[in-house]
Amino acid sequence: MAAIEITRVTKRFGTYAAVNDVSLSVPEGSIYGFIGPNGSGKTTTIRMIMNIILPDTGEVTVFGRHSSTSARDEVGYLPEERGLYKRMQVRRLLRYYGQLKGRSLKEIDPVINTWLERFQLTPWADKKIEALSKGMAQKVQFISSIVSKPRLLILDEPFSGLDPVNADALKDAVLDLRKEGTTIVFSTHDMSAAERLCDRIFMIFKGNKVLDGTLDEIQSNYGHDTVRVKVAGGRASLSNFGDIDTLNDFGNYQDLRLKAGTNPQAFLKQLTNTTEVQHFELTKPSLHDIFVRIAQPTAEDMKRPVSGAD
Amino acid sequence: MNRIFVVAQSEFLILVKTKAFFIGLLLMPVIMAGAIGFQVYAEKHSDRDDHKFVVIDHSGVLYAPLAEAANAFNQKNGTGETRTGPNFIVEPASAGAASDEAYHLALSEQIKNKALFAFVEIPAAVVDPNVETPPAIQYYTETPSYDRLPEWLGRTLNDEITKRRFNTAGVDQALVKKLSVRADVQTMGLVTKKADGSLAKAKETDPITTFVAPFAVLFIMFMSVMSTAPQLLNAVIEEKMSRISEVLVASVSPFELLLGKLFGVTAVAVLLAFVYFIGAGYYMIYAGRTELVQPALMGWFVVFLICCVLMFGSMFLAIGSACSDIKDAQSMMQPVMMLMMVGYIGSFAVLRAPESNLALGLSFFPTSAPFIMMLRMAMQPTPPLWQPALALAITLITAVGFVWAASRIFRVGLLMQGKGATFREMLRWVTQG
Repeated sequence: MAAIEITRVTKRFGTYAAVNDVSLSVPEGSIYGFIGPNGSGKTTTIRMIMNIILPDTGEVTVFGRHSSTSARDEVGYLPEERGLYKRMQVRRLLRYYGQLKGRSLKEIDPVINTWLERFQLTPWADKKIEALSKGMAQKVQFISSIVSKPRLLILDEPFSGLDPVNADALKDAVLDLRKEGTTIVFSTHDMSAAERLCDRIFMIFKGNKVLDGTLDEIQSNYGHDTVRVKVAGGRASLSNFGDIDTLNDFGNYQDLRLKAGTNPQAFLKQLTNTTEVQHFELTKPSLHDIFVRIAQPTAEDMKRPVSGAD
Repeated sequence: MNRIFVVAQSEFLILVKTKAFFIGLLLMPVIMAGAIGFQVYAEKHSDRDDHKFVVIDHSGVLYAPLAEAANAFNQKNGTGETRTGPNFIVEPASAGAASDEAYHLALSEQIKNKALFAFVEIPAAVVDPNVETPPAIQYYTETPSYDRLPEWLGRTLNDEITKRRFNTAGVDQALVKKLSVRADVQTMGLVTKKADGSLAKAKETDPITTFVAPFAVLFIMFMSVMSTAPQLLNAVIEEKMSRISEVLVASVSPFELLLGKLFGVTAVAVLLAFVYFIGAGYYMIYAGRTELVQPALMGWFVVFLICCVLMFGSMFLAIGSACSDIKDAQSMMQPVMMLMMVGYIGSFAVLRAPESNLALGLSFFPTSAPFIMMLRMAMQPTPPLWQPALALAITLITAVGFVWAASRIFRVGLLMQGKGATFREMLRWVTQG
């Protein structure tokens, strides 16, 4: 059974479609990464999964149940930043959030102790949230989303603003939870984190689903059209090739994207005819590149207003 | 139901477990007593200046007695640091000014320069017994708000003027005084029959039972509502701004959240009222006024208080959820504050005429009913039972209606970020949603 099943969901705010005809299936026990530029519909999608807002059309089920009020107790949620009472003590806050999910203190307290210990927050258990550093507060917030031992955990930007040590601690925690069978959905702008942690990746752009699949699937969809070359003369000797769509100059080597339909082998031959090729490698585009390709105006988009015609 | 209780408990603790709550609880009576004490003290001690004024006496006979009376007045106030009142220093008009107008102008200049406080012009006709309506004594000043001097002048001069009129008419002043002694009116309660059939004597009413106790009941109601319900507004805005609301509605429905918050704050209000009543009750027993402790009245009080907090609390929650910052909210809460004040302001008129149409109207107007009805029930005679029952029904129905409307606004407003809503938009959320 899928943990989350979104079927042809549309949500409009006024005339603006924040989410447009999106379908998505999150298998149980997987880590699903939601990526997309700011304002593209990630949070709206998450809120519909949480049953905080309702879709205009289409349906969302969580663990096979339509009304998430029944599924709600199985879901943990970490909103982007904040989400904590500044003047409440850490332990009291964690207990409150757990009780709101219908758990008894007897169930909650051991979980709280374990996680406070794990994040070295035990000495801070009776301090107020406002006394905590940002990193500590974010870890408390993370604990608050898992005190109820949810089967589905939804994290909105969990790693933003964390130093590498804390970010790693959180990533390890996420992986451990997955091992225990928790389904995890998180949104992020950190592409390398998404590449490393996620089983599957979902990208939404301007309300539309643009990517959905494993990293491999996505990368192969985008083709092995990226070529990493090292040539004598560097960038200058590449400037006369009409087959190159975009060029990323890294100094020692250049990443090229060939125009659609160009045969890399033919391009290699052309290249060897004009200069000495020291390195030639067909690579997969990184998630970062794919994200940028989708979210950035294309070269054509950029040219259009200038050339005007055709 | 369980979740509502969890929210209520948390809300209760958030409100009660603050230093501000305890300080407020303890300080309120202290501040009240302090404010009254300060006023009494200020009245006695702040007004100790010399007030010099010139008297232009056209009658020619009033200056001397006025100067004498001023002297007596100053003597009575004492001297030096222990003075308890102002000094009135009388000065005669200087003779030989070019014209009345020029002299008035010169005196006005002196007042502007602070060399003088005021001047008084007494027309000659005031002592003439044949004048039906004597011309007014004119008092010129730059500080018309200071009424102690003109009041004293009016009283002192008129005493002297009547004395002179009587004299001129050949009437013995002492006799007049003796014959015009007043008979006092004593306000009594009603005569009742004792169990053994004999008549119980009516008791003289006292201001404690007729005014102070009813007003205290109203005031405790007002304080209990005032110091709790508005806090919901800040609480919701804080939760909204820090995205706590999102976490909360991911766990409980907005309606459960709303009810939980309302119940929590209601419990705080009831607690507050109890603390004040226990304090007041203890004092009454200590003072031997046990008849003022009325358990039935307390029952009504608690029910009215609960309805009242639910009613206002839901308004504040609705506004809080629809606003995006404190500033927005503060202007939107003004109308609600005014609704809350209606009962308090109206109480003064009701205290004087508890069975007037105004009193009846305010007793059945939902936002003032809890205050006015409690006030009237603490007064004598108590209104017939149907009145508090009807008032309670009206308040209860209104409270339920407001809670319902607020829950519809709450649901939409809570997750809305950015611009706050207007009252019209809120109304649309209620009617459509």
